[in-house]
Amino acid sequence: MRVVIAEDQALLREGITALLREQDIDVVAQAEDGPGLLRIVAGHKPDLAIVDVRLPPTFTDEGVRAALEARARMPGLGVLILSQYVEPVYTAELLESGEGGIGYLLKERVGDVRAFVGAVQRVAAGGTALDREVVAELVRSRDPGGEDGALSALTPREREVLGLMAEGRTNTAIARALVVTPGAVAKHISNIFAKLDLPATDEDHRRVLAVLAFLRAG
Amino acid sequence: MLDNDDTERAIQWRGVRSVWSALAMLAAIVVTIVWAATGGAFWPVWVWLGLAVPFMFRAALRSARSAPRRWRALAVQSALSGVVAVILIVVWALTGAGFWLFWPLFGLGVALAFHGLIVGMWSQLRPGPREQALEQRVDVLTRTRRGALDVQAAELRRIERDLHDGAQARLVALSMQIGRAEDRLEDRPELAELLRSARAEASAAIGELRDLARGIAPPVLADRGLVAAVDALGKRSALEVTVEAQVARRLPPVIESAAYFVVAESLTNAAKHARGARARVRLADRGGRLVIVVSDDGPGGAVPTGGGLTGLRRRVEALDGSLEVRSPAGAGTTIRAELPCE
Repeated sequence: MRVVIAEDQALLREGITALLREQDIDVVAQAEDGPGLLRIVAGHKPDLAIVDVRLPPTFTDEGVRAALEARARMPGLGVLILSQYVEPVYTAELLESGEGGIGYLLKERVGDVRAFVGAVQRVAAGGTALDREVVAELVRSRDPGGEDGALSALTPREREVLGLMAEGRTNTAIARALVVTPGAVAKHISNIFAKLDLPATDEDHRRVLAVLAFLRAG
Repeated sequence: MLDNDDTERAIQWRGVRSVWSALAMLAAIVVTIVWAATGGAFWPVWVWLGLAVPFMFRAALRSARSAPRRWRALAVQSALSGVVAVILIVVWALTGAGFWLFWPLFGLGVALAFHGLIVGMWSQLRPGPREQALEQRVDVLTRTRRGALDVQAAELRRIERDLHDGAQARLVALSMQIGRAEDRLEDRPELAELLRSARAEASAAIGELRDLARGIAPPVLADRGLVAAVDALGKRSALEVTVEAQVARRLPPVIESAAYFVVAESLTNAAKHARGARARVRLADRGGRLVIVVSDDGPGGAVPTGGGLTGLRRRVEALDGSLEVRSPAGAGTTIRAELPCE
């Protein structure tokens, strides 16, 4: 797997690089700003770009814009955004940006090495990794009162499973997180799909997309 | 002492005046009685007029004296003209209403108009020292208050930037190092557990810093400006919100923040009190004034002095803006704010 990083803070850039190398993930190039990201993506053809939202020179949403641009130039490029805040507008733009894996994680998640590396691998493979705060925000905007709408038909356990699915986790990972058997998870998932009237499918990634499409339709 | 003297003199004067009033009243009654006894034409009316003249003058002068200094001469002239006019009209009425009355009244009017015109032009040309001082003071206050608010807004954004680049970045790096150590201690679960809880603390600190920064200005507002931020608010609202914006430029940060919080608070209120209603947000940049209108078709009846609305009004007024709440029962709520933005 080939990864590039765009992050202006050296401390984090070097830290993430070291962390990934320890896990045998090859960081092939680093950049400090948006134009730098576009250059290394063009030069190294990576599977995944890990990008900080705020980059010089504007320190606003430069990172999101550069990542979207890189993806437009290289369709299928996985993009994992690291941000210090959850901004639904940016998540929505990424989810709409077409082919390839998508991730949006709060920066502090890099501390949970296992989960972070899992997210990196998932996004590089074309999957999804959304921060649980992002998912919570999606659920909130879909169902503001907490009472109305199709989501109210779900049991608390099913809502938990829905949240984990929206984060992009596989059945096995969900089973591990909730300390239940994969069979139980599969059952919850088929209940959720029936209640929300979503097309059933066996493939993890398609299921994630169906759930996200449902949440975002609100 | 001086006060006492003044008071004493005032009392004496009041005494003189009341004696004069009493004598005048007495004289009026006496002549009326004499007239009643002797008969003939109603001549006491002349005596009444004569006695009333000093009162009229005094009342007129007293009211004219309270005028501001630069207008006092004009006020005195108009008061005196008024009294003379009244006397003339009474005389005119008593002597059989000829056309002659027109000329003195015309003369008085012209003189008064002339004086008024001169005083008016003069004050246009040269505002008095008091007015000039006040004008300057208002200018200075407006400028410095605006400057202070701009500085404050810039300072807050700098703090937010510093939090992000400094403390937050270090905490993230810290939590990453702890995570790496934790990962290598798989065979020592009790140590790994200690590190896991240390990492949880670091995450909590990062979360608190994030909430702090978000309170200063939501990221999308700082990054993309008012229209994008208000669009995002509309999308996230529990209500169906349409946003119409005619703002083609980035406004000063302090104005953007105030406008953003007006819309955010209004939509939150609408979602709370007008469930299921439709809301409409209009933003217009009209030659130096930003007009913000948030309306809903809910039940109305909002209290304009409610906590949230008062806070908004203060925020808007501190920027020389205005905020108006219209919420008749049964006819929806409209909140309209105007902010100056040159």
